[in-house]
Amino acid sequence: MMDIAIYSLVDDMVSKAGTEGVVEYWLRVGESYAERMGKEAYVGWPAFNVAMKDGRTSLTVEGAVSVQTDLAITDKDGDVIGYVYALKTCPISPTMERYISRIGPIPDSDTDVADSYNNRIRDSAVSNYCITHQKFREVAANNITVAKEALECLQLANKGMTGEVKMVPENLARINVDERHIKSILRNASCVFALIVKGKSAGEEIID
Amino acid sequence: MAENIESNPFVDVSVFLFFEDISDKQGVEGFTNYMVGQAESLAKSVPEEEYQTWDDFANAVTNGESVLSSFEHIGQISEYGFVTKVCPFSKAIREYIKRIGNFNPVHMEATDHYNHTIQPSAAHSACMMHQTYRKEVAKRIKIAGKPLQYAQIAAKAYTGKIALPPESWKKVLLEKAGITETQGFMEMRENSCLYLLYVED
Repeated sequence: MMDIAIYSLVDDMVSKAGTEGVVEYWLRVGESYAERMGKEAYVGWPAFNVAMKDGRTSLTVEGAVSVQTDLAITDKDGDVIGYVYALKTCPISPTMERYISRIGPIPDSDTDVADSYNNRIRDSAVSNYCITHQKFREVAANNITVAKEALECLQLANKGMTGEVKMVPENLARINVDERHIKSILRNASCVFALIVKGKSAGEEIID
Repeated sequence: MAENIESNPFVDVSVFLFFEDISDKQGVEGFTNYMVGQAESLAKSVPEEEYQTWDDFANAVTNGESVLSSFEHIGQISEYGFVTKVCPFSKAIREYIKRIGNFNPVHMEATDHYNHTIQPSAAHSACMMHQTYRKEVAKRIKIAGKPLQYAQIAAKAYTGKIALPPESWKKVLLEKAGITETQGFMEMRENSCLYLLYVED
């Protein structure tokens, strides 16, 4: 029942703090959730990917994640710097289904908050919950090291309840993966993201 | 019985954290007000219901067909006495403890605030939401044209602590439910929540 509270809570919060205020609340929740999960260290990518597959990492508390082992991301020297991952079921999806079945249509505030985030921060939210979820992943990834190097999470694409797809072209460019390939993964997943060594990219560029 | 769609605990835990973030900004009072306010809003969004007889209502609620039983399995122990076996928040609470650790003390502070300022019936912060939801949803249900009434008797927290009303209230509530205090305690061994549902004569 706790999850169902989201929609009435967000509806109330929008009337009191505005859509921008709710975005800020959700960003802080994502950050504090990830911070409170603690740090993790893995000796290398195979160990990390097994942990992801087994659901043992802080990043897999959101649900089953499949590792796209055919999508290893390499740097200019050919060294593996990360992988692409697909979340099968969006964590808010069961809540949405239950809300629609038991209460009624999802309130407009859901889209209003998502739009506020998309217009001001990054165009990657298909529902208001994406805000906290994506922030959670970004902060949680920073708390994980693989071969003693901190990770960075790059949101690539996600799919909303109505089938609407959001892509983040700058992140796709950074890992040099084609949009069509990610769309094919989205046929059987709700969210696609990459985990790479912090600051690295598939090209020569080093990101600060 | 309606299909039971399980929530993802990731979402449940983040809602608890959302309330904690509110308390950082607006204190325990803000936490309590938001929890109560959103439960009122949620209840106002559910469809209204009408039943011709008390038995029709009791059957619907125990078969999971009423909006009152949308989120919990309700059992009937006497004409007006009802129980919920498993607290619908227990999974979220377990997941919070499993993933994050001890509950933030603000949850108990808000519970105490609710018990002192609204009514002494909450065993955990989630009870504030749950009991407010039940109270407001009851207003949307009519039986033979009369609105349903709801009164909380006992609620058990994940720690085993049971929230009970003051002695004077308890006597009246148990009498209305048609059960003795001993029977009430026996019910609380097996269930997480004991309450009255009735219509005024």
